[in-house]
Amino acid sequence: MPVEIPKDKWNGQVRVVTLGATADQGGTRTSTVTVGGETTMPFMHFEGEIPHRPVIALEIKDRRPDDWSSLLLDLWSDKADDPAVWAKAAEEAGADLIQLSLSLTNADGNPTTPEAAVDAVKKVLAATGLPLLVFGPGQADVDNELLVAVAEATKGERLVLGICEDKNYRTIVATAMANDHLVIARCPMDVNLSKQLNILISDMGLPLDRVLMDPTTGALGYGIEYGFSVMERLRMAALQGDAMTQLPMIVTPGFEAWKTKESKVGVDVPESWGDWEQRAINWETITAVALLESGADILVLRHPESLKRVRAAIEDLMTAPETV
Amino acid sequence: MAEHTVKFDQASKPVKVPTGTLLSEAAEQAGISLTQPCGGQGRCGRCAVIVTEGTVRRRSTLRLSSEDVEAGYALACQSVVEGDICVTIPPQDKIERRLTSDRTVAQVKPPASYDASVHQSIRRYRLSLNPPTMDDQTDDWSRLQAALRNQSNIGAVQVSLKLLQKLGQVLRVGDWDATVILDSILWDCPDCPARLIDILPGHVADDVPLWGTAIDIGTTTVSLWLVDLLTGEVKSQVAEYNGQIARGEDVISRIIYASKDGKDTLRELVLETVNGLVETACRRAQILPESIVKTTVAGNSTMIHLLLGIPAESIRLSPFVPVVNHIPALIASEVGILINPEATVDCLPGIASYVGADISAGVLASGMSDTDKITLFLDVGTNGETVLGSSEWLVTCACSAGPAFEGAGMEHGMRATQGAIEEVWINGKTFESSYRVIGNVKPRGLCGSGLITLLAEMFLTGILDKSGKIKLDLNTPLVREGYHGPEYVIAPAEETGVGQDIVITNVDIDNLLRAKAAIYAGFTVLADSVGVPMEAIEQVLIGGSFGKYINVEKAVQIGLLPDMNWDRFQFLGNTSVKGAYLALLDHTLRTKIKSIAAKMTYIELSADNTFFDAFMSALFLPHTDITCFPSVEAAMLTKD
Amino acid sequence: MALSGIQIYKMLPQTNCKDCGYPTCLAFAMKLAAKQVELDLCPHVSEESKAQLAESATPPQRLITLKANGNEVKAGNEVVLFRHEKTYYNMPGLFVRIKDDLLADAIKEKVAAADTYSTNYVGIDLVLDGFAVEAVSGSSASFSAAVAAVRAASKKPVILIAQDAGVMAEGLKVLDGEAPLIFGAGAENWEAMADLATQYKAPLTVTGNTLDELADLVEKVKGKGIEDIVLAPATRSLHGELTTRVLIWRLAIKKNFRSLGYPVISVAGDAGDPAKEMVSAAQAISKYAGFVVIDSFAPDFVYPLIVLRQNIYTDPQKPIQVQPGLYEINNPKPTDPVLVTTNFSITYFSVANEIEGSGLPAWLLVADAEGMSVLTAWAAGKFDAERIAKSVKAFDVASKATNRTIVLPGHVAVLSGELEEELPDWNVRVGPREAVDIPAFMKQAMT
Repeated sequence: MPVEIPKDKWNGQVRVVTLGATADQGGTRTSTVTVGGETTMPFMHFEGEIPHRPVIALEIKDRRPDDWSSLLLDLWSDKADDPAVWAKAAEEAGADLIQLSLSLTNADGNPTTPEAAVDAVKKVLAATGLPLLVFGPGQADVDNELLVAVAEATKGERLVLGICEDKNYRTIVATAMANDHLVIARCPMDVNLSKQLNILISDMGLPLDRVLMDPTTGALGYGIEYGFSVMERLRMAALQGDAMTQLPMIVTPGFEAWKTKESKVGVDVPESWGDWEQRAINWETITAVALLESGADILVLRHPESLKRVRAAIEDLMTAPETV
Repeated sequence: MAEHTVKFDQASKPVKVPTGTLLSEAAEQAGISLTQPCGGQGRCGRCAVIVTEGTVRRRSTLRLSSEDVEAGYALACQSVVEGDICVTIPPQDKIERRLTSDRTVAQVKPPASYDASVHQSIRRYRLSLNPPTMDDQTDDWSRLQAALRNQSNIGAVQVSLKLLQKLGQVLRVGDWDATVILDSILWDCPDCPARLIDILPGHVADDVPLWGTAIDIGTTTVSLWLVDLLTGEVKSQVAEYNGQIARGEDVISRIIYASKDGKDTLRELVLETVNGLVETACRRAQILPESIVKTTVAGNSTMIHLLLGIPAESIRLSPFVPVVNHIPALIASEVGILINPEATVDCLPGIASYVGADISAGVLASGMSDTDKITLFLDVGTNGETVLGSSEWLVTCACSAGPAFEGAGMEHGMRATQGAIEEVWINGKTFESSYRVIGNVKPRGLCGSGLITLLAEMFLTGILDKSGKIKLDLNTPLVREGYHGPEYVIAPAEETGVGQDIVITNVDIDNLLRAKAAIYAGFTVLADSVGVPMEAIEQVLIGGSFGKYINVEKAVQIGLLPDMNWDRFQFLGNTSVKGAYLALLDHTLRTKIKSIAAKMTYIELSADNTFFDAFMSALFLPHTDITCFPSVEAAMLTKD
Repeated sequence: MALSGIQIYKMLPQTNCKDCGYPTCLAFAMKLAAKQVELDLCPHVSEESKAQLAESATPPQRLITLKANGNEVKAGNEVVLFRHEKTYYNMPGLFVRIKDDLLADAIKEKVAAADTYSTNYVGIDLVLDGFAVEAVSGSSASFSAAVAAVRAASKKPVILIAQDAGVMAEGLKVLDGEAPLIFGAGAENWEAMADLATQYKAPLTVTGNTLDELADLVEKVKGKGIEDIVLAPATRSLHGELTTRVLIWRLAIKKNFRSLGYPVISVAGDAGDPAKEMVSAAQAISKYAGFVVIDSFAPDFVYPLIVLRQNIYTDPQKPIQVQPGLYEINNPKPTDPVLVTTNFSITYFSVANEIEGSGLPAWLLVADAEGMSVLTAWAAGKFDAERIAKSVKAFDVASKATNRTIVLPGHVAVLSGELEEELPDWNVRVGPREAVDIPAFMKQAMT
């Protein structure tokens, strides 16, 4: 009995966004990464185009972090003391991109200066040819101060500046516009807020093909279902033709998963949680896979083993089935 | 416990209170009535007093600047006595007591088909009794009943003790001619015998009016129409602020106040208001209140519960159930309305906790239950009730919009009275505003319509971004950082009647955005819940006394009203009192309200996330989904 | 096709008699449309309407129940493709696979561990659902012994996997009186398997390489009178499984295609190594499997999967809540103030973000207000002095914030007096009404 395959007809497409710029394009990257362009829901190859595979970034910091799990710190060992070395190691671990997260303070506890931030970014740019995402420490005034300095010092690189939020986006968007960079628009797990921030950024004049959106996802066990559904809704809206949701989605399962107790803590936890290291990797991997299935274009991870597993899943899912 | 002396400048002698007493309580003890529109919740700042000697502990200093506190200001409802103090009550504007409608109101025409002999449940009969004799020692009451049976074909009649007490005298004074007034058709018991309301000596002439009143008890305003039941003519329309306002400006505050030993107070306050209106209306028509023999009452469920002294607590607590929706016919003396003590008091039926009799009456008055057209009926007020449907079906919901559009809770908000800015225009280059003021005087604040146009103008001239944030980088002194964050100056101090700049703050704008988003989300979710697309709505009827003033274009531009042809909008004014009036005249319409109420399907918006989603979507200018507002999109393009 | 509330309303008597327990016919119709009530509640509906409504009321995906000793695992009956469109109802059952070439003692040991596995997640005890016994030895005796060993160690429902109907019959004999899942019918053995399903009143899986094959075989099996069917597509890649299950759900739910209106089983255990198996199982849980068979049973493997399942099958129609508790913002010290708010996510986020942005340390006490915002919760009596005081005690706030200064949201300033009574040794303060004013308030009033 021949079954008629039900195909969803979408008339929208996710924007194609290219991260990083090579020498020809005004930057210094040896390669660029392009995401987006989908005309169907995740991996539905039989009814639309998925021209660019989801990519994986590894997150590094400008100095050895104080608050990361010892599992990660032991793994990266002394590489974490130098962002350039760390970036190189991340590239070797198979990352498509590097995310450099700036710290609020230096090792002595003094505030990170714009000069130090620029220095760290330049070191990483010199160490690797991969496109780079630079995140501020997450406090509005500090983010603005550091990211403006970084943006100006790296004009033309098409860095991704993170992150713009509804309370603090104007400065970062302005500097991204002036210096040929991209931005991330982040909203707390709400379709409307995401869309509103994209509109506000677009109203400032930044072309939307230089904006990525981060709907904020939560980790497995800590609200991932909201992120999962918000992403599905955003992607459906994009495919239905809503221009303000047609941005590639970036998610940070590494950050989300590694702040959970399940990943961070190895002692005094229930026996039913099992082996710490395996659990932590599984936590990050499952968080990432669930978000991949709901439409993530860029996944930022922290552990190379998770990267390997998620990479394998992407390879498999990007294969179009021959028959159904 | 230690006692302290509190001396008020306005009180004749000091009062002694224990540690921990609120200043507002001490004031009450001293016989001083402080204005507390927010119900003593520290929200409105109206009860600010100055502590001139000693100190108090201020739990909250909301709406007071640090300079104010320095100068001794304290909120009476939020400050605790912990030592001997002297307190000065600053002169402040009392809530302006202004009649919101008066003799200038347009005449209401009775329904063309109205025929009291058919529609009116109150009937007046002239009877001529045979005087008793030694041969006929029938008692007075049997004699009257016999006359009713023989002369008016009335079988059985109920009578109260009070009427029996005066029966004998009335019959004899009238020399066995009498006029009786009966409520012949009891809506809640059609088969019950008629009820005697009054008996008057002699024969009353046909052209002497028979009086009734239609009352709408709003959370903010109480309205009353005095009606001649024989002709249907409205003789007087009066309105007054609900005396309960000082105990809380929204229904929730009132319910909580009532639950804390305030039930009787609130009942007395609203009765005072109602009886004051009765008195005013009677004075104007030069009649006695005792001649009013019937009244209908509409109002939201909380107001009706509070009027009747019924505990209202269950209204606000899950699963949100009122004690009673369909109230049996009552009599005036038990309710406490000072008209004829035997007069019928008919409280119209509500639908749910947050959709009351004001809405079932409003639906009747709006005519939406008689039309095939899919109609949206909006009551733009604090409770944001919405009804959608036609003659076939009706769905309804309520969303808490808050009092922002009534000017309450705003830095310079006020009601639509003299001195209120009712319309604003902003110059797109200089950002200077021009405005129109009610009564052509110096402005004192902004009322709802002024706020709507102001919001629209600020948005279209780019003072606000689409999320309603004031842009501080505009290079004009009219936009500035104020005490509550960014603000925009509409009128500098020298132009105003209050001696200070009239401004709108970002906090105010957030409140307005929430109010408009709640109303818009309410009707969109309602429509969606029954699968009716917005474009299928053929007419939008807007009720509430506020409805008269809305500028449709501006209301659409801020995303309060749906973007559709303006000819689909119609403003109906106070539909609640109008519905009460129709029910007062015509018992078939009273029955109809009952069936409307029974037919309305209440949709609980808090049942799932849909409302919140729609609310967040509407919390943007004009809306997150601009495709819902094509005309606004076009207007924005031309502004660029 | 699913009918809207208004469409159903037009088929009801429209008398608003309330006999169904709902205030109006339309209210009842909307409940019917949402599939939250049964039509039987209306005693007055006409036969004609009944027939029409029954058609639209038949679930697009059949509910399948595996039973054993009073334990049940359900799959199917789903009505939406995306959880945000309504919710998913029946969590996929997680079954640990046991192969019959293991010795009985080894089986019992593995089964007992999985059987008693339980982990507590946000106050709920999460467990595995049952076991799949697979005949790999080829011997009926080994199979029935393995089944018996599993049954001896666990009372949970079982899936029996065998190609040979004779072997399957031996396994079924052990579980007589239960409704295990027979896995199952393929192109070759379907008739014999269908006979067994009929004999034991047990649901049956149907296997096929393509949707065409699956649908064909379903129709054949149905021809033998079998109603309880589970689909077992043969594909084993992530992309193949995803596409197949998406299409099966779409056909059932959107096209009402009866031949594929059944839940799907996924054998994640076939993926190979545990790393791949984990990804396959995670995909099965988030994308449309009704039963998932896993080989690996280690707590660090099972725990994340079981939590994922709990998360994906949470009802998204409920307001988004955060966990009540005491949150630390900017590394607070015991001398720092405690700010109170409710556990509605947006409220929490805006308050937490503002405090974080202020750079000032504070404790944020998130009280359980059933996921409502401050004003709504206060209005509904879910955020009052008593509840706040209860949270202060439950989360042992006094031992962490020894300064004992607690700040109420400005919107509920009215609660300050009662809270002082509830918390006599605390200094109760009233903060601003809006979150945006928190930094200014903290800088001016709290320092």
